[in-house]
Amino acid sequence: MLADYGYIGLLLIVAILFTVSMPLLALSLSFLGIIPRKSNPDKTSTYECGMETIGKTWVQFNFRYYLYAIIFVALDVLTVFLYPWAVNLKELGLLGLISVAVFFAILVVGYIYAWRKGALEWK
Amino acid sequence: MFDIVFWILAAVTVGAALAVVFLRDVFRAALCLVFLFFTIAGIYITLHADFLAVVQVLIYVGAISILIIVAIMLTREVWRGSPSGRLRIPALVVGLLLLGMLMFTAMSTKWHISDVPPQEPTTTAIGAGLFGDGGFLLPVEIAAVLLLAAVLGAIVLIREK
Amino acid sequence: MIVSELHLMTPELSLLGFALVVILLDLFIKQKKVLAGVSIAGLIVSAGFTLAMWGAPTIDIFYAMLAVDRFALFFKFLLLAAAGLIILASQDYVSKFERFQGEYYALVLISAVGMMLLTAAADLISIYVALELSGISLYVLASFLKDQKSTEAGLKYLLLGAVASAVLLYGMALVFGLTGKTCLLCIADVVETMPIAGLLDNPALLLGIILLAAGFGFKIACVPFQMWVPDVYEGAPTPITAYLSVASKAAGFAVIVRVFFVALGAPSWLSIDWGILFAILSAITMTLGNVVAIVQTNIKRMLGYSSIAQAGYLMVGLATVGVAVGADALGRSGLLFFLMSYAVTNLGAFIAVIAISNKIDSDLIGDYTGMGKRAPLLAVALTLCLVSLIGLPPTAGLIAKIYIFNAAVHHGLLWLVIVAVINSCISAYYYLRVVKVMWLGAPVSEEKVPSSWALRASLSLCCLGVLLLGVIPGSFVGMAEAAVRIFGS
Repeated sequence: MLADYGYIGLLLIVAILFTVSMPLLALSLSFLGIIPRKSNPDKTSTYECGMETIGKTWVQFNFRYYLYAIIFVALDVLTVFLYPWAVNLKELGLLGLISVAVFFAILVVGYIYAWRKGALEWK
Repeated sequence: MFDIVFWILAAVTVGAALAVVFLRDVFRAALCLVFLFFTIAGIYITLHADFLAVVQVLIYVGAISILIIVAIMLTREVWRGSPSGRLRIPALVVGLLLLGMLMFTAMSTKWHISDVPPQEPTTTAIGAGLFGDGGFLLPVEIAAVLLLAAVLGAIVLIREK
Repeated sequence: MIVSELHLMTPELSLLGFALVVILLDLFIKQKKVLAGVSIAGLIVSAGFTLAMWGAPTIDIFYAMLAVDRFALFFKFLLLAAAGLIILASQDYVSKFERFQGEYYALVLISAVGMMLLTAAADLISIYVALELSGISLYVLASFLKDQKSTEAGLKYLLLGAVASAVLLYGMALVFGLTGKTCLLCIADVVETMPIAGLLDNPALLLGIILLAAGFGFKIACVPFQMWVPDVYEGAPTPITAYLSVASKAAGFAVIVRVFFVALGAPSWLSIDWGILFAILSAITMTLGNVVAIVQTNIKRMLGYSSIAQAGYLMVGLATVGVAVGADALGRSGLLFFLMSYAVTNLGAFIAVIAISNKIDSDLIGDYTGMGKRAPLLAVALTLCLVSLIGLPPTAGLIAKIYIFNAAVHHGLLWLVIVAVINSCISAYYYLRVVKVMWLGAPVSEEKVPSSWALRASLSLCCLGVLLLGVIPGSFVGMAEAAVRIFGS
């Protein structure tokens, strides 16, 4: 079981080696003079889907994103509780089902509230 | 083998934690924090706690980091960075004292180490522990109420008066 | 089997049900006063279930997660009463957050559920989850006004509360690592048979105890974890300040007594060690609270420091519990009676402050001048409560202090009682200053201070409690003595 994580580790090592070697390659090629060094403003400007970039990088986002983020976190925690229940659904039987249903019902009240109060609407 | 992996992960974790504290740029510090969450998930794996590792990735790397980054994007004038506090030196002293105390405690106590091999995989056992007979059913249900209170509170606090 | 145990949880379940109903009703009902009624009804139903369970056998339910004992039932009743009085007293206040009334009541109820679970929790896991449940709702309630001060209060409370619960978790982890158990009784079994002669032999247990005390100490606001109190008390909505100072503190004491008494009560050197720890903290807490309260000009801040000092007196009871484990239950019953009297007294004081401050729109003591002429009844009530906080006859405060100090002297904590008595004399200065301003100062205007019937009702209930506990304490003492029975002892 644990050895399986070795493959992930291997993947990680390859990923790190790749990301480190690519800039090194480019740098060494330019150092050797194989790549010409002719800079101009267009070359050094920020690339944004071919559009002109306007203004600062740091703009203040609408706070509504935060509401979604918070509701997302609550859902995420719900998933964490559902996951171990789902893997042994059969052994846990009726008691497990009922307790998850209660868990879900309590949380659903929160979502009904959020929905009815218009917290999920983008005004 | 696992020892080596553990020490590499531990070193990276501590490095990332220091970066979180010392980086002036809030956004970079947040990214370092996300990285730290990842390496902690790795440490959980070396401790044979695979479910915990998954939860760590799912909640911390997946959700909490989004929350932190969104919060930074909501902030005005982020580029100014985090100013250094006046209490840096006292905080350092207290932090080091706490570290020393915890390390001394961990080292000098005779812990009971179980000779039962760790369970693999742990998810089924945790499921039984949470929802099964003799388990932690009540705290799980309280956790649902806790989440409800959090959703309610978050909406109240975020919406305008 | 779990389903058959559900009826032993009816107080919490019914209250939670009412909280959910309040949340859902809020979506459909325009008239928000109805929600207050539903909340009060929920509290009364829950209190009814609590009373009905008074005679139930002492057992643990949900696989040793919760204890059903009189100790928990006593606290549940106290918490329900406090929450009910708070909701009544909020009626003049809720207009400040017109849009979120439903959420306000729901969060008060949910935090009450959390605290009720906290007083009954018999396992470190359920203790932690219940603590967080009450904590999260209170963080939100503290910043409910959404002005600068209230937001600051909520933020400070949240940040320090998060640190405190991290510290608490560290302590729990150490205790769990050492004993391999999370249920309090199982921990007690392991700790009792540990082959060690003193705490210094076992640094993990020592550090675990210190961290647990620190984590819970935040909840009861004892020194050195009291820093959050003045700012949070000043900034939070006044009913919530009262709620924090009474209910949250009572729940904190309940969980401390349960954890330390049940899990760490034996061997006797261990309980004496933590008893002495609490005795020292108690002396520092009351002294600091009283001395700093003298210079306060804002009445909410003053009552904040005063509640720190009162926590110090309450910790005399905690110290007595520690040094007297196995001897008698005087420490516990003293603590319970003091909490009872402190609850009615402090609630009364805060409710009077709500009534007065809401009208004159100021929390400064100086602005209370001449209140005796502008609002004689409110001034009489506030005076009564302040006199009870000092501990003068014929009020609850006197009996409570005599009771708790007597228990301490009985178990050799004479030095602590002397410190406490000196402190009570100091406290008379700042409490009586308010009384003097109210009765001898010249009123700034002739305008009367009106208040709603709900607020007057809750205030008169509190004053009635203060007088009853002071004049005929016998039956209440009997109640406190009946409630010392903790599961597992």
